Amino acid sequence: MKISINWIKEFVDLDGIEPEELVKRFNLATAEIEGYELKGKDTYNVVFGKVLEVKNHPESNHLHILKVDVKKEVLQIVCGAPNVREGMVTAVALVGGCVCGHKISPAKLVGVDSYGMCCSAFELGIGGDDEGIMDITEDVEIGQDIKEYLPIDDVVFEVDNKTLTNRPDLWGHYGMAREFSVIFDRKLKNLEVDDLSKYDKLPPLHIKNNSFNCYRYSGISVDNVQVKKSPLKMAVRLYYAGMRDINLLADITNYLMLELGQPMHAFDHDVVHGIEVVEAKKGDKLLTLEGQEHEMPEGAVVIADDKKVPVAIAGIKGGLKASISDETVNVLFESATFDPVAIRKTSRAIGLVTDASQRYEKSLDPEMTTLAIARLLKLLKQIDPKIKVSSSLTDTYKKEYPLPVIEIDEEFISRRIGEKVEKKEIVKILTKLGFSVTEKGQKLEVVVPSYRATKDVSMKEDLVEEIARIRGYDNITPRPLNFEPKPTTLNKAVAEEYNVKYMLAVKYNVCEVHTYIWNYSDFNEAHHIDSPSVVRLMDSSLAGQSGIRSALMPTLLKVVSDNRNQLSNIRVFEVGRVAPSLDENNLVNEEKHLCVVLASQNEKPEDLLEELRMFIVDYAKQNLAIDINFKEGQVPSYLNPYNSAHIVSREGDWGYLGLVHPKVASSIDKRLNIAALEVNFGELSSKEGYYKKVKVPSKFQSVNLDVSILTPNTMKYGDLDQILNKYRSKILNGYRLYDIYEDPSLEGNRSITIRYELCGKDHTLEGKEIDEFLSGLIAHLAKNKLSIKK
Amino acid sequence: MKERIENLSKLFDQKIKDVTDEKQLEELRLEFIGKKGSVSLLMNDFRNVSNDQKREVGMLVNALKQKVETEVENLKQKLSDQKLENELKSQKRFDFTMPVNPKTGALNPRTILQKQIVDLFVSMGFIIEDGNEIETEYNNFDSVNVPRSHPARDMQDTFWLDNGEVLKTQTTAAQNRILRTHGPKCRVLFPGRCFRNEEIDATHENTFFQIEGVVVDENVSVSNLIYFMKEMLKGVFKKDVNVRMRPGFFPFTEPSFELDATCPICGGKGCNACSHTGWMELCPCGMIHPNVLKEAGIDPEKYNGFAFGLGFDRLVMIKTGLEDIRSLNGANIKLLSQFETKI
Repeated sequence: MKISINWIKEFVDLDGIEPEELVKRFNLATAEIEGYELKGKDTYNVVFGKVLEVKNHPESNHLHILKVDVKKEVLQIVCGAPNVREGMVTAVALVGGCVCGHKISPAKLVGVDSYGMCCSAFELGIGGDDEGIMDITEDVEIGQDIKEYLPIDDVVFEVDNKTLTNRPDLWGHYGMAREFSVIFDRKLKNLEVDDLSKYDKLPPLHIKNNSFNCYRYSGISVDNVQVKKSPLKMAVRLYYAGMRDINLLADITNYLMLELGQPMHAFDHDVVHGIEVVEAKKGDKLLTLEGQEHEMPEGAVVIADDKKVPVAIAGIKGGLKASISDETVNVLFESATFDPVAIRKTSRAIGLVTDASQRYEKSLDPEMTTLAIARLLKLLKQIDPKIKVSSSLTDTYKKEYPLPVIEIDEEFISRRIGEKVEKKEIVKILTKLGFSVTEKGQKLEVVVPSYRATKDVSMKEDLVEEIARIRGYDNITPRPLNFEPKPTTLNKAVAEEYNVKYMLAVKYNVCEVHTYIWNYSDFNEAHHIDSPSVVRLMDSSLAGQSGIRSALMPTLLKVVSDNRNQLSNIRVFEVGRVAPSLDENNLVNEEKHLCVVLASQNEKPEDLLEELRMFIVDYAKQNLAIDINFKEGQVPSYLNPYNSAHIVSREGDWGYLGLVHPKVASSIDKRLNIAALEVNFGELSSKEGYYKKVKVPSKFQSVNLDVSILTPNTMKYGDLDQILNKYRSKILNGYRLYDIYEDPSLEGNRSITIRYELCGKDHTLEGKEIDEFLSGLIAHLAKNKLSIKK
Repeated sequence: MKERIENLSKLFDQKIKDVTDEKQLEELRLEFIGKKGSVSLLMNDFRNVSNDQKREVGMLVNALKQKVETEVENLKQKLSDQKLENELKSQKRFDFTMPVNPKTGALNPRTILQKQIVDLFVSMGFIIEDGNEIETEYNNFDSVNVPRSHPARDMQDTFWLDNGEVLKTQTTAAQNRILRTHGPKCRVLFPGRCFRNEEIDATHENTFFQIEGVVVDENVSVSNLIYFMKEMLKGVFKKDVNVRMRPGFFPFTEPSFELDATCPICGGKGCNACSHTGWMELCPCGMIHPNVLKEAGIDPEKYNGFAFGLGFDRLVMIKTGLEDIRSLNGANIKLLSQFETKI
């Protein structure tokens, strides 16, 4: 929003304060000013002049040679404006003058000397009209500097609208002026308004409000408006505030909106005889002023005439039919307040955001409607004294916001700010901001003004903010907190996340990625990955990504695919959230997963798998004291069913690992071997096993005994291990897999060599004891149909 | 006799000078103190020594024998050291200037910075918590005082799921649960990934990380908040940081602030990164809204507190010099792997 300091200064004296200071203090106390412009700085020596003579240029068919009276002299000026005519008063930039940075010097235009330049409003930077030079009909003094007549020198602030979201009172210059008056402790002038009670005896307008979303609808009608064009001063102000002048009646409603923040609308009273506020029926359409047709959503608030024909989309845009035209002399002014959410929804639905709708969305104060009318009549009468108010103020007031009454005291304010604030100061700040404050003993009773009561201020904390920001946050001394120190540690889930990430990066040489939570169904489909989503986005504007992933592995396979042309070894992992299922209340059972994918052009698949196995066993053992095992089981179809396994421990089943199914892998890149692992990391890392007790090793020498066991090729090592595990002996210290020998001569068997470590607790082993151990083992194996290779 | 001993000693001194290898040394040893060596032979003549001189001569012979033994032993050690030295000299030598490439993976720069910040907060007595990415409407909006009609709830801003839940729009979604868990006297930090329905470009993401903190206690003031924010930013940037607070507006807090810090890139002189203002908006914060406390079962008359959010991804970009926010979510491994484990 653009704010003109000239306009502000109409209500508060800010003399002696530099623009930089205004910006700085306003930024820190109220809202963000993004920048400011010094208007008129590069325009000078421009005066009013009268065109005495217009002659065609002999060498050009669009240029004219003018004689222009600028009081001191009569200048010859060559001018190309199509609207130039004898007797016209216009703006003339003199030689030596400057127009928006463009210096004026004597010139020769197609052979004819020219001493000055006739200017359009656009060229002067004070209006949007660039069709021709200014055609001034107001009674101005020839030769007078236009800056003496028009408010061209100005400072215009650009305020960030977002930062005004909760301040409906700041959407007009008067509210801004109030804010400046408090920040700089200057006096705010009263607004000059017309006395509306004078018209009480006139007949009321036909206004019916049938919508609860219309909080208040006030109207008044005025006859005999003869002036069509807005005064130049008003046009300049509108232009500086970002609008263009159109005609007096439209302009004056815009002017009021910019001044008080209250949007208004002018209907041609000869077209619209009365007003009914209704809600749109399905299919209701409106042709707007700009000639665009909008279909209004069902239930949208609509301004209709007394025959229920829509004439405006309430709070957003007027219709063409009842708009002000050159013929309009009798007018009906609307000043209304609507439900902010209703306006926002309609505005979004039809894709039309206007100056009015932006303001209504912020919860405007319904008390403003009649004030705006009173102000408008005052201004209109100054411009066109012959107008006649033809109705009484007609007002339907459906929803009034209660004015909150808040009790506070100096102690509370001081405690919350952390600085001693005197009662006197509190009263002064609040009063200047428009709150009414009554002292009741130690307490202060504060009544919120209506323009802050629509949503912004309702409780003690809100008043803390008012006091603190006006005093200045930079006047608060930072103070440490008093608190009892307590030992803290990372939450286990967070700590383990870091542990596993550091281990993967540092020890296993894998790169962490963060991928989106979307399920890339197109990618999945193209690469034979079946990984359906259990939840989807309502708004599927992110085409092809409307589902939420239920596993990480498909996304990381996409990462492999995305990087396959840059790297021959792709080693990535992610700790991320997935939505694998819904619970009985239809809520997502969110899980935190870890996925590691190793893809390589030169490493063998079994080596990649071995790394993954090593990693997960290593991690679980080092960090969680959990022993990981691998077990056959169902895995997702994008893994090779014959070369994959579940990752389990005594505490549960954590996920799976395996080679990626060749169908998927070769579709991603034929050169790549890909192995992958995915576990429910949130669950796994919440578990904690126990660390084994330390065993003091025997002082006596231990003996290694290698035993080769013949096992069927189909028997997994894990199965053999379970058998070996059951054989116990006092002299057994431990055993480990030493070697595997495979040979056709073994006829469907393989020889697995186990190295036993044997040791006596309190003596050196004798040969006899070792023999006993071995024969016992042979017997144990025989019971399990296994034998020793001789 | 004494003379012979003397002469032998002199002879030995002379001969040992010429020894150059272990073989010659052994020969010398045998020549003097071998079984038939000249020192041993001296002993044969010992009986001819008069009794009154026996003691003296005996000592001299022993001294000579000892001298020979010691000097032979010393020279032996010296020769063997020399031999080893010569061998070492001739051995193949290692080139220590060869390039070294330790194999290492990489952490996402977010993880690296997040850990630094988390450690900083732990040192300030904070508990670190985790939160979900998919949240109920209650947690994301209702429990933290976002009005039913707030525009943030619109489909244009929030990713709604077809089961009625949302992708959390801000870390505050975890606040209700955290305040309930940790009670009215707490200081908790909770990083998390958030989502907004936005068009993506170099400076906008629909998926981004925030770090949020809450402090609840008795009599917490705005001045405490400012102190705290200053200390925190000092820790993050590892230097003194000027801060300023401006009014902000968030439903979760009242009053709400935007906290600006001296632009860490230009140090406040003004640069492109701070739009030539010298300040960088880093930290929305405020005093926790009484409704939020109430909803978490905390009496706002007795306790109050502050909450702050760190625009974490922006911080990561400042620290890493990455200019496109999308590179944090993208999986450009060649780019990301450069960070290894430090930024």
